[in-house]
Amino acid sequence: MWDSFYKAVVFQDRWSWYLEGLGKTLLISIGAIAIGVFLGIIVALIKYINKKFGNFKIGAKICDVYLAVFRGTPVYVQLLIMYLIVLVFLPTIWVAILTFGINSGAYVAEIIRGGLESVDDGQIEAGRALGLNKLQVMLKIVLPQGFRVALPPLFNEFIALVKETSIVGTIGEVDLTKVAERIVARTYEPFVPYILIAAVYLIVVIILTKLLKLMERRLAKSDRKKS
Amino acid sequence: MTEKNLKKTDIGESLIQIKGLYKYFGELQVLKGVSTEIKKGEKVVIIGPSGSGKSTMLRCMNLLEVPTYGEIWFEGKLLTPVDPYLHPEIMRLSKTYKKLITEAGNGDYDSQGKFDAEIIADIKKNDLLKRFEGKDYKSAIKKFYKANFFNVDKTRQKIGMVFQHFNLFNNLTVMQNLTLAPVELKLKTKEQAEEKGMELLKRIGLEDKANVYPSTLSGGQKQRIAIIRALAMEPDVMLFDEPTSALDPEMVGEVLELMKELANDGMTMVVVTHEMGFAREVASRILFMDDGIIKEENSPKEFFDDPKDERLKEFLSKVL
Repeated sequence: MWDSFYKAVVFQDRWSWYLEGLGKTLLISIGAIAIGVFLGIIVALIKYINKKFGNFKIGAKICDVYLAVFRGTPVYVQLLIMYLIVLVFLPTIWVAILTFGINSGAYVAEIIRGGLESVDDGQIEAGRALGLNKLQVMLKIVLPQGFRVALPPLFNEFIALVKETSIVGTIGEVDLTKVAERIVARTYEPFVPYILIAAVYLIVVIILTKLLKLMERRLAKSDRKKS
Repeated sequence: MTEKNLKKTDIGESLIQIKGLYKYFGELQVLKGVSTEIKKGEKVVIIGPSGSGKSTMLRCMNLLEVPTYGEIWFEGKLLTPVDPYLHPEIMRLSKTYKKLITEAGNGDYDSQGKFDAEIIADIKKNDLLKRFEGKDYKSAIKKFYKANFFNVDKTRQKIGMVFQHFNLFNNLTVMQNLTLAPVELKLKTKEQAEEKGMELLKRIGLEDKANVYPSTLSGGQKQRIAIIRALAMEPDVMLFDEPTSALDPEMVGEVLELMKELANDGMTMVVVTHEMGFAREVASRILFMDDGIIKEENSPKEFFDDPKDERLKEFLSKVL
């Protein structure tokens, strides 16, 4: 047992490979989350505003196509197409970040749109009746309330995304999973590396969950009922 | 009796004018030609069976509902697009005016420019306008619109609205609810708005609730705060859309009390309600709406003691 552990982690400073791999995984995840949230918010707003106020007709159509394509095909296939056909001129790390970001954006968009649509129409009407314009109503009333509702599913999406990045080995990026594969290829002992990286993924996800709890508690003030 | 006389002398110039209002929701025709006028200082109560279009008419007054045909004027400014059928001088420019009338059936048009509601509805339904519109006619409409149109958001600042379901902003505290609009629209500084908010909260005896969120309040408290939220904008007129319908019976009183106070202070009010006692006591004029039109319009005394419309008689016999 110690022997397999030694070969998988200590020998030739292999622990530092895991760290590098984790670094890549986190870099791709965080980059993709940033792109995904940015894209998702824009798409969600276009679709929501189109539905409520009737602006951005063409934009909403384009968004529909984007959502259909990126939610309708496997992210693995998207990654291959991006790497081999569309983004051939970019370094692989960028291909990975962009692909996961654009893919995640589609899911984030639907989550945020759901959050926004959960806000009662009466809230918008009350704001408009006071003389606030559409932008002011969106910023001060709809977005804060919709964001609160969207937060838990949003973190679910982030968690799924972190785990999904484990397929970037296909396009030659050495992330946490690829590191384990490489070490197993040398030691022929899969137990320690794979259990180890599973534990690392788990820890990352637990940290994300804790973060969500923290944010939810902060936002829960306005929700507390009279006891 | 003296009190009623006082109310009448307070009534001044016209605030809201509703002209030939039609509203369709898809195929469903909710308003079928409504015209009325709200004068300064008036307390107009609108009653009628559900589905009669009374709420829709109220919501048209601040354009929460955009009328399909007809115009809304507020303090002499046009809020809706121009309805050419209300302006014979524009129609004449198109030289198709007479044709429209004859095609619609008969030429019932008098010099004041009033059509028979039925004929207008018919013309509009067949959308003859589209077939006959010409260049002169278009530019005349544009000119008229430019001369009279006014920004809707600016107008809404002068029209307070109270909803059936309160619609307090859930993500903001009571005080933030009161100050959001005045501060956001740069009518007041934050300090001024909070001072005014506190003054209003004191008036309704809820100053201790300034920093709580709406979800901790009772229905009656919510509605009273919704009313002072509208008051914080210092409106010229207040619209009430069934303000007590969603309340527990024991909370109706406190809301009506506040509304009566407002009425006594001389606020112009338009109230859609089922509270007949309130209508009788406070109203300077009562409208009875049924099937998308105003069936009867009268002072409270005449309205309740000597109703003329058959449908109104039936309605009153059921609710009183």
